[in-house]
This record gives sequence, structure tokens and C-alpha cells, in this order.
Amino acid sequence: MPRLLATQSHVVHGFVGNKAATFPLQCKGWDVDCVNSVQFSNHTGYGMERVFGTSTSAQELESVFQGLKSFQDYDAMLSGYLPNRESVVCMAKNHSEMKKRDPRLMWLLDPVMGDDGELYVNENVIPEYKRLVESSLVDVITPNQFELEILYGAKIQTVQELQKALDSLHQTVPVIVVTSCSVELFQDPKNLYCVASMRNQPAAVYRVPVIDSYFTGVGDLFSALLIDSIYNMREASGDAGRLDLNGVLATVHNVLDVTLQHSPKNLKASIGSPLTMKQMELRIIESKKWYNTTAETKDFYVGRLNDI
Amino acid sequence: MTRKVLSIQSHVVHGYVGNKAANFPLQYRGWDVDALNTVQFSNHPGYGHFNGFRSQAKDLRDIIEKGLIKGLELKYDAILTGYLPDPEALREIGDVVANLCESDANIKWVLDPVLGDNGKLYVSPEAVPAYKDILTKGNVFLATPNQFEMEILTDVPITDLRALKSAITRFHELYPKVLHVVVTSVTFSSLSDNTILCACSEPSDPSSARYFNVRKIDVHFSGTGDLCCALLLDVLLRQASSLAGAVNEVLSLVDKILIRTLELHIQQDPTKEKHPTKINDLRLIESRDLLDEPAQNRYTPMPL
Repeated sequence: MPRLLATQSHVVHGFVGNKAATFPLQCKGWDVDCVNSVQFSNHTGYGMERVFGTSTSAQELESVFQGLKSFQDYDAMLSGYLPNRESVVCMAKNHSEMKKRDPRLMWLLDPVMGDDGELYVNENVIPEYKRLVESSLVDVITPNQFELEILYGAKIQTVQELQKALDSLHQTVPVIVVTSCSVELFQDPKNLYCVASMRNQPAAVYRVPVIDSYFTGVGDLFSALLIDSIYNMREASGDAGRLDLNGVLATVHNVLDVTLQHSPKNLKASIGSPLTMKQMELRIIESKKWYNTTAETKDFYVGRLNDI
Repeated sequence: MTRKVLSIQSHVVHGYVGNKAANFPLQYRGWDVDALNTVQFSNHPGYGHFNGFRSQAKDLRDIIEKGLIKGLELKYDAILTGYLPDPEALREIGDVVANLCESDANIKWVLDPVLGDNGKLYVSPEAVPAYKDILTKGNVFLATPNQFEMEILTDVPITDLRALKSAITRFHELYPKVLHVVVTSVTFSSLSDNTILCACSEPSDPSSARYFNVRKIDVHFSGTGDLCCALLLDVLLRQASSLAGAVNEVLSLVDKILIRTLELHIQQDPTKEKHPTKINDLRLIESRDLLDEPAQNRYTPMPL
């Protein structure tokens, strides 16, 4: 049984961060050990005035990590949203130590900093994530395009520039999955583009139809499923494996589908309206049967990045 | 509609006690579980060492009252309260949940009065009067004390079957608002070594009180009580046959999970002793197929 250590946020109600990641992975047979970087009543999309609870202080986080030192039975690590620089530093130190102690431990880092040109963490977090990405200790990163640009240090306006950014980051990170590219890049507002790239292999482009609604936690669900997928690929064929995102994207697609089926017709959530936001929480529980469905997955693959 | 439960318990990163023992089985059986963590520890204290911290009483209250209830207008089918090591937080949460149940009669409050086990308190002594107050005043749907907790709450030592019945009668006298009580892991000297008792009763119909002779696996599994309590909530609220029927179903299922845990423990590390005295972590994930199986009742309810 594989065992995952996941350091990210906890919300009491709803499904983002560890709440979005845990149940699907448990259904797939993972023991998921959650270090919670915050405990909030709900996610921040409801509006900050409706968020209650606390961030875990760096000192508290450190204490929890110290206690975990006696357990060395992890197969993978996931790090996601952390509320401030101190908590990023604390996570980075402890996850790095674990990785150095056991290099076969696979580490997926979701460098959660912002989206669509907007930063939602303090700027002082940026150098910490850059340092981590350059440390050669992280196996997989899952930035969106905005986060990729921050890590790369330049805007990306063409497919060629995207390839350059990937090449540059591949010097220290073996697997990069760009979870959503800006609309301008592929000139196709009807679809969402996702690029998966393994060092020394051509980058692959995938697309999924855009659903005109506001979901939160999709990225967290995606990175959790991606860990499972890459872990299984490595178990099956070592470094010779090829990354195929179809299974992961199909599951995410199915969860969104179940979520829409459960929400009132014609509902388009608007940020800040709590009762509408509540209707758009991912239906992680109701989607149980989709986590282990392998039959007939849709083909989201478009082609090689260099051919586009 | 997916049923919703607010589960207020401890969180451990590694292993399965408190919310970690309750959440997955409830989610797997279709519950939308809002998990409010009263502590965040690296692991449970049964390991002999652990690190972490407690949540502040005020933060817990704000999350529930200002966040979940006022802010999101959430309606719960059930609230589950378990391990709360800090007496102040216990009183605070007891108060908040009592108010909620008062204002919404649909909420079923399942309360595990976690005080200790096998003659030993593992919370502060101030928790005892706090639980007594909560059980006296609150509209509790189900309470699940173990033998030690039942003895503390009733001041009746449980030394034989007759004393068990007296303790239950006393419990109903002291706490008439508690609609169901299930007493777990009862042992006394006249019982055979491979049996423990579990008893259940409702004040509305004292003649329906039953007890079960439960097969005893001679290993201490941490988190069994938390798992039992969560599964009772599920079975009792989903199909509500009878209290004794629900208890039988849960005891039978938990027995299967413990056996699976023991088998995996031995099988995955042949160097381990064949008869461990304690197993720190339930194998809940590897038992998930059992959670999906149709109910099987292996025990016979006996009138108490």
C-alpha cells in the first residue's frame, strides 16, 4: 500500500486542498497522511470576511514534522497551498530532509502562488519556491501558466517560449505539468490547455472543454490524481515510462460532471455569493465510483507541443 | 441528497484515530463529512511519543458559529463529537453543539464521552464534570461510553451483568435526555477470557436493552472506539432498524476490520510476532471493500 504525506490546507466544509486530495486517493488505495497548513471553515473564494479559523504557525508545523520523523514509510510527498513564507520555509526544510534521506520518495510540488496574473500569496514566498524548484529535490511541479512564468522569470507568449521555459526548468525538475495555459497561447477560448513534459521527451499537449462555471479545488484534485498516476507509471516501467494524462483528466472531468449534475440548473457561481459558492463545491463524495474507473477514458491528447 | 455530518475530533497525520478513523468510513458510505480538528498531532499517544498542538476553544467556536452556521447556513443531519483534551474547549463545544441541536431538532448528536480506558483517565479530571453537564443538558441522540467511562459517569462499578444493568438504569436516571446509549468493551472477572460485552439501551423502552457477547481479539487496536462510534452513526441514521440491530451490524463489521488489520500486520512483516499485544494503526484503507459489503450480523442480542 503506497503512503503519501500531503502538506496543504484543510477546510472544514467543502473540498479544496487536503480535503479535495484525500478521499480520491484513499479510494485508490493510498494511505494519505495530511499535515494541515491551515484550518479554515471554508475556502477563501467565499470572501475573506466569511473565512474563520487559523493558519498553522511555522512553529506548530515544525512540531508536527518533528513528530513524524519516526515514520519513514512514505512513498510520495505532496505539497500545496501554504499561507506564508514561514510555512513554505518550514515545509521546504522538512520535505527536503525526507527526500534526501530517501531519494526514491517522489515529491510533487504545487507552487501555489496565484492565477491569471494575480498573486494570492505574499511576494516574499516567490524566492522560496524558486529555491525549491532549483534544488533538484522536487520530482514533479504543477504550476499554472502564471506560476510557471514566475518560476521561469519571464512572460510566455508563444508556444516556442513555453518550450524554452520547460527546457530551462527541466535542468532541475524531471516532470513539469502546466495545468492551465493562458487563452492567448493556443488561440482557442473553448478549451483549456494543459501541457505535460518529461525531461528528454517531447512535451505533450492536452485539452479539455471549458466549463463556464466557477469551481475551486480542481487543481488540488488534479495534482493528487497526478501523483497516483506518475507513481504507478514508475512502479510499472521505471524511468522509461511515458506520462499519459488521459486517465487523470478523465477523472477530473467526471468529478466536474457529477458536480454540475448536483447543482441547480443554469447556475453560474459568482465569487463572493456564499450560497451559490456552496453549490459549486466539488462533489468529491458523490463521485466515488469514478476514482477506480479505468474503462474507456476519453482522449484529451492533442499532439506534441513542437508540432503545434 | 448526500447526508451531512459535522465531526469534531482530533486529527493525527499518521494513523487512524479520531477524525482519521471516522472520516474515511463515513465518506466511503456516502456522508459529506465536515471535519473540525480539535488538535493536530503527528500520531496518537499510544506510540509513546507524539508532537503537535491543540486548537483554541475560541477558534473552534468561531468556525462553527460564524463560519459554518451563520456564514454558510449549513444544515447538518448529525454532529459527532469525540476526543477533546482541553476542558475549556470541551465546555465551549458542548455549549455550541447543544445550542445547535436546540435550534434544529433534525440534528442528531452522537457523543463519545472520551475520558479514558481500562481504569485510566487520559484527559484532565475537569473533563468529567464537563461531560456530566453536557449529558444532563444536551439533546444527545447517542452516547457511546466504554466501561470505564460508564462507571465514571454513573458511579456504578460494573462487576457483573447485574451491575451493568444497574449502571444503564442509573445512566437513564441521570441523563434522561440521552436517547440511546451503547456501552462498549465491558469485561469483568466472571466473563470468559475471549469475550467482551457490548450493551445498548434506550430510556424510552428499558425492556429493549440488549447485550452482546463479542468475540475478543486479544490485541489492543487504537482507534476502534472512534471507528465504532462513526459506524453506529451511519447505521443508526441511515436505516434505523432498531438500536440492537444497528449495534449488531457495527460490531460484526468492526470485527471483520480488526481481523483484516491483524492479518495484514502479520502477513506484511513475517518477522513480527505472531501474537502482537497492540497494533497502532487500523488498516482502514485496505478494509474499504468491507465497508461496501452488505450488512451481516454475527452476534445474538441477549435481553439484559
